[in-house]
Amino acid sequence: MKAGKILSILGAFLFFIGLLMILPLSWSLFCGDPDVEAFGIAILAVCAFGGILYFVTRSAEEITLSHREGFLIVAAAWFLAAAAGSLPYMIAGVLPGFTDAFFESASGFTTTGATVLTGLDGMPHGILLWRSMTQWLGGMGIIILSIAILPLLGVGGMQLYKAEMPSPVKDKLTPRITETARTLWIVYVILSTAEFILLLFGGLEPFEALCHTFTTMATGGFSTHDASVAYFQSPYVQTVITLFMIVAGVNFTLHHSLLLGDFKTVLRNSELRFYLGVLLAGTLLVTYDLWHTVFDRILVSFRYAAFQVVSITTTTGFVTDNYERWPGLSRFLLLLLFFVGGSAGSTGGSIKCLRILLILKHSAVELYRLVHPHAVTAVKLGKQIVAPETMASVWGFFILYLGLTVTATVLLLLLGLDPLTSFSATASTIANVGPAFGLANPSSTYAGFPCPAKWILSFCMIAGRLEIYTIMVLLTPEFWKK
Amino acid sequence: MRIIVIGAGEVGYNISDILSKEGSDVVIIDRNEERLKNVSENIDVQTLHGSGSSPEILKKARLDQSDMIVAVTDSDETNIVACLLAAVQSRSILKIARIRNPDLNRDSKIFDRNHLGIDLCINPEREAVANIINLMEYPGASEIIDFAEGRIKLAAFFVDGRCEAVGKELRDVKNVCGTADFLIASITRNTEPIVPTGKTIIRENDYLFVLSESKNVRNILQFFGKDVAPPQRVFIMGGGSTALMLSEILEKKGVLLKIIEKRQDRCDTLASMLDKAVILHGDGTSQDLLKEENIQEADYFIAVTNDEEANILGSLLAKQLGAKKAISLINRVDYTHLVPYVGIDGVMNPRQSTIGKILHFIRKGKILSATPLRDEKAEAVEFIALETSEITNRPLKEIRFPKGAIVGTILRNDEVIIPWGNSVILPGDRVILFALRSAIPQVQKFLTVKLDYFG
Repeated sequence: MKAGKILSILGAFLFFIGLLMILPLSWSLFCGDPDVEAFGIAILAVCAFGGILYFVTRSAEEITLSHREGFLIVAAAWFLAAAAGSLPYMIAGVLPGFTDAFFESASGFTTTGATVLTGLDGMPHGILLWRSMTQWLGGMGIIILSIAILPLLGVGGMQLYKAEMPSPVKDKLTPRITETARTLWIVYVILSTAEFILLLFGGLEPFEALCHTFTTMATGGFSTHDASVAYFQSPYVQTVITLFMIVAGVNFTLHHSLLLGDFKTVLRNSELRFYLGVLLAGTLLVTYDLWHTVFDRILVSFRYAAFQVVSITTTTGFVTDNYERWPGLSRFLLLLLFFVGGSAGSTGGSIKCLRILLILKHSAVELYRLVHPHAVTAVKLGKQIVAPETMASVWGFFILYLGLTVTATVLLLLLGLDPLTSFSATASTIANVGPAFGLANPSSTYAGFPCPAKWILSFCMIAGRLEIYTIMVLLTPEFWKK
Repeated sequence: MRIIVIGAGEVGYNISDILSKEGSDVVIIDRNEERLKNVSENIDVQTLHGSGSSPEILKKARLDQSDMIVAVTDSDETNIVACLLAAVQSRSILKIARIRNPDLNRDSKIFDRNHLGIDLCINPEREAVANIINLMEYPGASEIIDFAEGRIKLAAFFVDGRCEAVGKELRDVKNVCGTADFLIASITRNTEPIVPTGKTIIRENDYLFVLSESKNVRNILQFFGKDVAPPQRVFIMGGGSTALMLSEILEKKGVLLKIIEKRQDRCDTLASMLDKAVILHGDGTSQDLLKEENIQEADYFIAVTNDEEANILGSLLAKQLGAKKAISLINRVDYTHLVPYVGIDGVMNPRQSTIGKILHFIRKGKILSATPLRDEKAEAVEFIALETSEITNRPLKEIRFPKGAIVGTILRNDEVIIPWGNSVILPGDRVILFALRSAIPQVQKFLTVKLDYFG
């Protein structure tokens, strides 16, 4: 691994992150908010640091990256992005401590939506916009955005793309990685625009509509109000957001096919069917559970159930009601759905429907083999046989995912938190959901967590967003051997 | 340009790599997922799993939007079918196929526009044999490449210690040499290519690329202390179709041939096809057999079996036993650049020849031919200078060439000019230019911008 090459890419990347802060800065200037200065200083600091790093370490050589360098760059880029993104919070004085600011920023970029902030309704708009924007950028992937925009990453882009989008089945939409990245982002922007317009129709202020669009399409979950989406008290807004959370949890290559008019591929996709099936089953069960216990009317139960099930499954984390006061079955199902997630190649986090589907299919195949010991068996996805290596990598991911959840839970318990809080907060941050149970229930925040716990959870968010492998591989001694 | 490559083998991989780096959008199709994985990990192209002769897969690869299809699988039939399917889709798409079966190749009429409509058929073995024959005419050189229909040749060789030129600056070398005009276009030193200037000093073990008129090549090689007598006795190890093609040509030239082949039935076939050659049944890497047949008298030992490791070992053994020169057939590019350093004098690489031929074809129109040189780190480009081009009507020294590029030769009517700083390129001249791979996109831009304007 060559340090110069890695540092120069990271330098360029940081510079780019700094430039992205110009949008909230201009919003603040436009509104005359007091946080103009904070953004000005943050942009200067980040751009200067990144720029100097780039110019000191750059070389004229063409950049090609090995696997290892790809992992290292992507992991480092995410931690750096979170650190750079925390500057406005600290300088503006919203969150003076680095721990809190880093937690908030990591929660933003990883589209988790766990917050330590209260009093959102009175925050300067620049800060609120930056919060939502980090989610939108992190949703489709900041590395993928850099590949799409920075010419620097043309050849080395593939290694980075794989490290940020480690889905079990890789689709390259176009011959060139930069083209693929650009296509994904264009689809993302088109869908976001659609939601933005629909939310405006619902009577939202343009600023609110923009922020909520950002955090819905990214399956992030930050809101501009402490009460989250519940604040709007509008069935229309709830429905629009529910629909777009579902959309954001679908593989973006399918959206691309749909935009090109290829309906066949979309309808035949078995992951999509499974994903919608999970959402429907969860919604129906929770509706049944809420009816007569929390809400009297079945349609209201259905609306609240659908919103919450979709919000948790797609790992968005919006709330319209404090689900902790819901009956046991609902609470259990929601906790379980922390471990499902959106489709592979979507903006959703967690284990992802594709992996769950493959694991279920694999188990079914094992049972079938017991009945017919000589049968030719294979896990199939559509008409394609899933390679045994892919299956092994899915299982490996599953075990690592659970392993990380257990480890982090134990660490939080050691810090003196109660079991429900520890487990649900860990599961929620690794899955990039946001709200959890116990201390971190929807009507509360993570502010009350001890400092080390916030760092552990920040780590969980980034590890979860990069699908475990990319971060975990850095922790193996093998990675660092020459 | 959008290009579909079918077959992710050595040729498909390298072609895709070069084309993708030069800015074309490449989709590569193969039936082997392992190979595709290797491709997608190393080069920026789209991979598709499936058969290249399946209309469904070709549709997925967006054949209708592609400009060219390059079919280089191991199967001639797949390659032909893929090109036929492409022809059905669109008349304007360029079709290149690798066809190895010599019977199919002999009657190349069936491939022309009116029948199968394949624009270029390549037989890698034939290309490689042509290469070898060229090489054997000038035994001192490790590589010989033709330009301008063979009127200009590029010879590549190592400088040995006894050569007069060692330790001299390039600009002085010509004075020592005498009349024959030539240009040292590129020097490979310790595996890195350098573009020489007048002040570059020649060292022992440099690998020189020298351009000159064909008739002078022998003199130049002689000056650099190389052996130039044409071969009398040649051993060929392996009796496949390449060996047969080679033998037929050598036999006509009156060379004494001994062919060593393992399989009895193949020996019989060879014996029936060839009149004078001695056919030996046995193993080419057997010391006893080689000694018994007086290997020490051989001018050339050419190893052309399908097993490239055996070819290398056989060549080394033959040289150790006294053969003057050895040439090996090696397909893997990984090995190619190692060969001169272990003592083998020449390589025939059918796959590399194929790649060269395809590149040549792709660049046709703008550029007459382009030949990848050793390790593919440099390339020789042949083109016709245009009136509107920046490089015409001005002394060379005033032209700002891309870094790593040098004008090698100018061919005006029938006159070969070896250029120097004050030489002027006139419109209509054929120019041979050398460039490091890194400079190729710039060179292409340099040459084509004006051309587009012109056209």
